[in-house]
Amino acid sequence: MDSLQRYAPIIERIEALARSRGLSFDPVYFRLTDSDEIAEVASMGLPNRFIHWYWGGAYKELVAQQNKELFSILELVLNTRPSHAFLRAGNTYLQNVLVIAHVFGHLDFFKNNHWYRKSNKNMLNEAELHARLIRRYEGKHGREKVEALLDALLTVATTVNAFERDPDVRRRRLIYFLEERAPLEDYERHLLQSVREEAEYFDLIQRTHIINEGWATFVEAELLREILDPQEWVSISVQLSSRPAPYTIGYSLFKAIRDGRGFDAALDARTYYEDVMLIQDALTEELIRRLDIFVYDPKEKQKSYDVQRVRDMLIDQKEHKGQPHVEVEVGHHRDLTLVHRDEERKLEAKRIALFLRAVHSLWRNPVRLRANGKVYSFDRRGFSST
Amino acid sequence: MVPLRIHRARIAQYKHDQLLREYLKQNLNELIQQKELVIDGRVKTQIATLDLPTLRYGEEATVLAQGKGAAGGDGTRGGRDGGEEEVQALGGLLGGDHHGRELRVELDFDEFVRLAQEVLLEEIHLPPLHLSAAAGEVESEDMPELDDLDRIGLRPDLNLEETMLQSLLRSVRERGMLDYDVDLRQDGWYFIEDPTTYRNHRSLEVYVLDISGSMRGEYLALVRKTIFVLWYYLERRYPTNLRRYVVFQDVATEKVRDDFFCVESSGGTHISTGFEKAMALLEGTTEYDKFLFLFTDGETSSGDFDLAKRRYEEALRRFDLICYGHVNPGGRGVGGFSEYVHEHARRHPNATFANLVDVETIRAAMGDFLTILTREQSRGLAAALRADH
Repeated sequence: MDSLQRYAPIIERIEALARSRGLSFDPVYFRLTDSDEIAEVASMGLPNRFIHWYWGGAYKELVAQQNKELFSILELVLNTRPSHAFLRAGNTYLQNVLVIAHVFGHLDFFKNNHWYRKSNKNMLNEAELHARLIRRYEGKHGREKVEALLDALLTVATTVNAFERDPDVRRRRLIYFLEERAPLEDYERHLLQSVREEAEYFDLIQRTHIINEGWATFVEAELLREILDPQEWVSISVQLSSRPAPYTIGYSLFKAIRDGRGFDAALDARTYYEDVMLIQDALTEELIRRLDIFVYDPKEKQKSYDVQRVRDMLIDQKEHKGQPHVEVEVGHHRDLTLVHRDEERKLEAKRIALFLRAVHSLWRNPVRLRANGKVYSFDRRGFSST
Repeated sequence: MVPLRIHRARIAQYKHDQLLREYLKQNLNELIQQKELVIDGRVKTQIATLDLPTLRYGEEATVLAQGKGAAGGDGTRGGRDGGEEEVQALGGLLGGDHHGRELRVELDFDEFVRLAQEVLLEEIHLPPLHLSAAAGEVESEDMPELDDLDRIGLRPDLNLEETMLQSLLRSVRERGMLDYDVDLRQDGWYFIEDPTTYRNHRSLEVYVLDISGSMRGEYLALVRKTIFVLWYYLERRYPTNLRRYVVFQDVATEKVRDDFFCVESSGGTHISTGFEKAMALLEGTTEYDKFLFLFTDGETSSGDFDLAKRRYEEALRRFDLICYGHVNPGGRGVGGFSEYVHEHARRHPNATFANLVDVETIRAAMGDFLTILTREQSRGLAAALRADH
């Protein structure tokens, strides 16, 4: 097995080169490990997070994809202080050199991006604390009860918004409303807060996925151009443009900024932007065509490359994690009413009852959802729609 | 010393598997009746409840997408057929943890069979089979050192040449180095021959299934459940048995395993063709234990009745054991060709008959089918089955 020592000189060289280009970082520990551990961390989000069947399903899916060589994770880096970066022992030396350069791009982003500066760099410890807390509550209140509660909490946790500070706006998002108003016992509210904190940590990562991966790929390319010999560089530059969409979209946007306004403008974008701002500023019709991104209507089998539609759709994905935009109709009522704000797009009907049952298990009073031109309800008699 | 690592994701996976098992338990009947049970090695499932029940857009909602030729996609699923060219839905431009993504359960056929066996054994109250090791054998998790090409040792069935080649290929693939670094778990290559041409003294199991028009729904469910339970015992006792599969209606054809579980029921019934095809599979083989498992509702065409009788008797001479399963979910009695076999089986030592009415009768069928097998082949299995009878 490769030893980490082998990579020490190149890590040092890449770091020095990155600093000379104006980048800066918090300390990082590199770790050489196997695909299995990387799949484990990737599926759980953090290595020591609480155990839940959902991560188990994600892990199984990842391992199956890796075994079939359909997909493999080459690198993984955590936004913590100090940061931890995982290199896959099965990678070739050259692949890991790429990964190291890419990791320094992420590290620079973690330290300097305006939104990341506010993020919780102590999440490893907090996740451990949450995991222990959950174990303790399982002992005290029963595993089945705690697991059912976690299922419901994880279902509503996708409504977090790590960027929103206005309490009135936040309250329209389901999880914050439930935290404030749901008749929960103390331990239940405590678990809700734990799940919400972790979800906010990941929300930031999700809302900056394109800019973060784009910047890391951009830095990787900038640094490797100087490090690799021309032949190696040619093969790498081809590879850079065939990566998953967030990498290629983000990379193209940064290249467009640098080519139009210079390297310092790219540095400014990495400092002040998140995905929505980057998309609004740099995504042009020409880029949309080149990247072949479009809004697709499966009913009509039609594509639209209209720049505004594509931008809006991208931004909507960022705002709501690609999930339907459902808001709480705030008021001091016993019944909780949720409204789907994009009536044109229909919701998958068979999930609605299960979703409302989860919300009802937290709200404990009748819950309603206005969507698909109907009103769906869940109360103690069960599910109904009108 | 290697530091102890707690595999939290594996514990989580165990929890996920438990839910999957529960789902299977509740839906086994529905799943197992699917006409096409296996597609590309996987079993079709509709397990919405194994995902977190977050809200999602319906299939017809507009999506953000990318042409498949453009880049590597986003690593997530969600491809849609866009007509002339393929369109990849860009559902996951998110990163972070997996939370919020749709989790698809892909159940491969072997895993499905394993879970179904667990569920069935519990439902039918059949004993699990634990074969005790022969005297002096010990079990160990450790892998033996592989330091020469000596074929005598702990792993006499290891194909060393192939194993070294696999190790080399893996090393080149993963590390770009021409280096032998054998890891038996990854590179271990054992002697596996082409089952259709291989001649040795392994036993042969031939499964023959009637797929005429009436054999669908509950009929198929009963047959498949019976086969899964049979496999449970047979593959533990005889892990090297060869298996071959035949389906018949008016004519009979040999199928590979996955296709055997994806049959379209139609046409008339000529049981004679099933026996004929099964016997044809014996040509040129030297196996000394030849077992035939045939499943039918017994309603062969009237013109085929006499021929089927002759073929059955011929098959009795050529197979060491014929297990005939009369598939009869309504419990309407045993008539037609099955009635003849039922009578005959009482007199003939290597013929058995089972009337498959419901899952409870699978238990009785195992007793009928396997005690003869075990009387001839394995006292261990007989004891295991008898212990619970």
